[in-house]
Amino acid sequence: MLSGKKATRYAIALFLIISLNFFIPRSMPGDPLTNLLGEDISLTASSVQELRERMGLDRPLSQQFLDYWHDILRFDLGYSFHLHRNVSDLIYDRMKWTLLLSLPAMVMGAILGTLLGARAGWKSSALRRTQTGFIMAIYCAPPYFISLIALYLLSYKQGLFPLKGFYSTGSALDIAHHLFLPSAMMTLFSLSRNYMIMKGSVLQEKGSLYATFARAKGLYDEQILFRHVFKNALLPIITLLALDFGFILSGALFIEIVFSMNGMGSLIYDALLSRDYPVLQGSFLIITIMVVSANLLADLLYSYLDPRVRWQ
Amino acid sequence: MAGIKPGSGPCAMSECFCGDGKDVRGMEKECDRPYHCPYGGILFRKVSIIGLVLFSSFLLAAIFSSFLSPCDPWDRFEPYLPPGQDHILGTNDLGQDILSELIYGSRVSLIVGFGAALMATTIGSSIGLLAGYFKGMADEILMGITDIFLMIPQIPLIIVLAAFLRPSFWLIALLMGSLWWTSTARVVRSKALQIREMGYVQSKRSLGFSHLHIIVSDVLPNLSQLVMPKFLLSIASAMIAESSISFLGLGDPSMKSWGMMINFAFSRGGFINGYWWWYMAPGLCITIFVLSIVLIGSFLEERDESIMGQQ
Amino acid sequence: MNRHLPSSSYFRPLLCIDEMYVSFDTSLGRVKAAQNICLELHERETLAIVGETGCGKSVIASAILQLLPSNASVKGKAIFLGRDLLSLGEREMADIRGQEIAIIFQNPSLSLNPIMKVAEQVAEPLQIHRRLPRHRAISKAEDMLSRFKLGDKASPVMYPFQLSGGMNQRVMIATSMILSPKILIADEPSKGLDQSLARQVMKELAGIKDEIGASLLLITHDLLLAKEVSDRIAVMYCGEIVEAGSSAEIFDEPLHPYTKALLNCLPEMGFKPIPGSSPSMIDPPEGCRFYPRCRERLDRCLLSPKMIKVESDDGDREVRCWLY
Ligand SMILES: Nc1ncnc2c1ncn2[C@@H]1O[C@H](COP(=O)(O)OP(=O)(O)O)[C@@H](O)[C@H]1O
Ligand SMILES: [Mg+2]
Repeated sequence: MLSGKKATRYAIALFLIISLNFFIPRSMPGDPLTNLLGEDISLTASSVQELRERMGLDRPLSQQFLDYWHDILRFDLGYSFHLHRNVSDLIYDRMKWTLLLSLPAMVMGAILGTLLGARAGWKSSALRRTQTGFIMAIYCAPPYFISLIALYLLSYKQGLFPLKGFYSTGSALDIAHHLFLPSAMMTLFSLSRNYMIMKGSVLQEKGSLYATFARAKGLYDEQILFRHVFKNALLPIITLLALDFGFILSGALFIEIVFSMNGMGSLIYDALLSRDYPVLQGSFLIITIMVVSANLLADLLYSYLDPRVRWQ
Repeated sequence: MAGIKPGSGPCAMSECFCGDGKDVRGMEKECDRPYHCPYGGILFRKVSIIGLVLFSSFLLAAIFSSFLSPCDPWDRFEPYLPPGQDHILGTNDLGQDILSELIYGSRVSLIVGFGAALMATTIGSSIGLLAGYFKGMADEILMGITDIFLMIPQIPLIIVLAAFLRPSFWLIALLMGSLWWTSTARVVRSKALQIREMGYVQSKRSLGFSHLHIIVSDVLPNLSQLVMPKFLLSIASAMIAESSISFLGLGDPSMKSWGMMINFAFSRGGFINGYWWWYMAPGLCITIFVLSIVLIGSFLEERDESIMGQQ
Repeated sequence: MNRHLPSSSYFRPLLCIDEMYVSFDTSLGRVKAAQNICLELHERETLAIVGETGCGKSVIASAILQLLPSNASVKGKAIFLGRDLLSLGEREMADIRGQEIAIIFQNPSLSLNPIMKVAEQVAEPLQIHRRLPRHRAISKAEDMLSRFKLGDKASPVMYPFQLSGGMNQRVMIATSMILSPKILIADEPSKGLDQSLARQVMKELAGIKDEIGASLLLITHDLLLAKEVSDRIAVMYCGEIVEAGSSAEIFDEPLHPYTKALLNCLPEMGFKPIPGSSPSMIDPPEGCRFYPRCRERLDRCLLSPKMIKVESDDGDREVRCWLY
């Protein structure tokens, strides 16, 4: 399914990015120990020495590199001295919430965005132009800014939704109430990106001869779009949409911060404020792995869906 | 990393900016079915003129900040004033005039955006040029690198690096510039591949002209049209990212960019207390500026494509 | 291969194109792709439109079915069974397309949906117009495909990219014939195929056309093919029809200087190319459009000639030239 060349590229990408994570704290200005542990941690001189040994900083770099990989493969991402927990546990706890917020929203955004975008690219009308203008404004605004506006108008002014957090009582209904506005923002954000991509692709694709031939067969208007053009327009952009996954996920982090939700975004935000480097690096690593996997998945999906690739 | 179709034919896609410098296509285009169409609908052109007007007014504001702003952005007046007569856009927690902050902020934001975009475009064009012109091994390696860069989640990486480096604005621009050249590299490469195969370039090569001469006199001039919209769209990406990073408090506190203003409003209680004017104005500025760039950039791309369509 | 018919004019006209004008707005100017086109297509006959590439043949074909892009403007009438096709709405056209009038385009490989199985594409008209359920439509489509020797087990589940150009051409023909339309418009069905394959595809096409009793509007730049297959021929030059008549008469006794020149291009007539090149359609020559290249030109050729009837055995010979 996946050609050898591509598989190698994915492997190399993953290897390089994870290795980058090893070199960042060791090459940045300042004491590598601080860079590895985080700042503002009060340590006595003896414990500094002890920690330095425990982190292996007295060993040669190559040995450290091997140890680092060894740890990674055991899902050991280090220890947060600020939060007094293993980074992998922390991320595991927070990631659940982030995924709850972002995955359904991203799926919704992808479905709605491609459908609406396809129709907007197919035929323009006053209504669709207004819709495109609106979506384009969202597309051009930073996601956190739109969330701020929505939060101000709907929660602060109207009191329709809670101002912060994932839950207050913890019942399913309560969680849904809390999740609604941020999820809607996330959906809108992901929708706007899918919309613009799909619209462009349909605009290009609808000029193809096979679309005209479908019309000549007697298909009417959107029958042509949905029976022929849609899939052809979607295929070449599957990988493009996957590349966008990283950006949309980053958007989720910002939306969480605005809504003060305890997911990855807030974890990263707090880690930034306290310079908790292990948490920052661990989060970056996990996000990277997710993005690379999403791309891999999209590639597989593409080669499955496109008969021209499948039958090669 | 599978085949992303290059723009083909007159009604081809146009690529639009994407918050982290990757390709996203999709702009207004009123045309149907095969053959070339008279470019841009009238509507489309009108909209891009609006884009141009907005863009130039921001540019003027950035250049002539000191003449245009009513007062010094660091001067203090009464805090938390809502928009009114004395201060058209109100004041912040320190009593600083928001309009003046905005006008000075445009300078910072635009410099970061232009700087990053300039760097990204230079790197992207060089890599794409080398890969496309020399083909073979160079192409394989450079495009492999491009594909890898394409997959790095860039905003998280910048966050991590910025946390270690406590950056100045220059550094942020540098970081963004060194990450966002990928889409430029791709389009430049495919164009360079095309030009390389053209008759007159082939014959020049067989006549023994040096590569450098051919690149400078034949390849580069043909690229400028292609690179200009990419450059504009990179500015848009950079501005969005700069504002996001500043929003996290990773910006340079001694310089007020639009993103920094929103960050202050959010972290110093402007939001909780309902001082909407504090973050609304900079947020709208970012949005409108990015919008204007996207409109102009995609107009340029459309135009190129319809010119190519007629050749 | 309607040679057994005494003359096509025994049958009533099915499609009458009357003073049709087609032009395109482009950024370079207005392309006048078809001017003052008058044609009649009779029941069961084969009418061929011949002319050099770029003279506007395909434009006529697409205009009849309202398939031109949005930068085109079409004037005139095309009366089919009492209705003017050029003024019908898109919904009514959709009912006619594929069912009453079918068309095959000149580029079969690009006209088929690249990611849809061939059999499904052939079955589509049945689903759209006859509302047959999917599996029945597909099994009928497979029957149809097997008539075109594409029935061996593998073909119907294949995709267009797995088939050769000739096979794709047959898939197109099968698609357009599956609803037994009254008119089939075939745009360059022999293009891109080698001689013998082209003849064979043409034979199959003519066979099925006779079987369902359809009329064929054949568009081609291949004069010999037109001579072999068609009852009548219309010769086109630079957006205008310059001569029309039964195919035997056109070949035996060409009237218009352009037709004569075209026949002289044929290998068996000595392969003498026409001097000069085709004029621009954005601003065509004044008067007769063939004037700049014509060997027999007169002064009054600088005025536009009218289509005039000429005496002939079949009675419907016409030419646009001042010599007659
Ligand atoms: N959509 C269009 N826009 C502009 N010009 C067109 C369009 N379609 C066809 N033309 C022009 O019309 C003329 C006739 O084209 P066509 O009918 O395809 O020629 P042919 O006789 O080879 O089939 C050509 O000069 C072509 O450039
Ligand atoms: Mg043609």
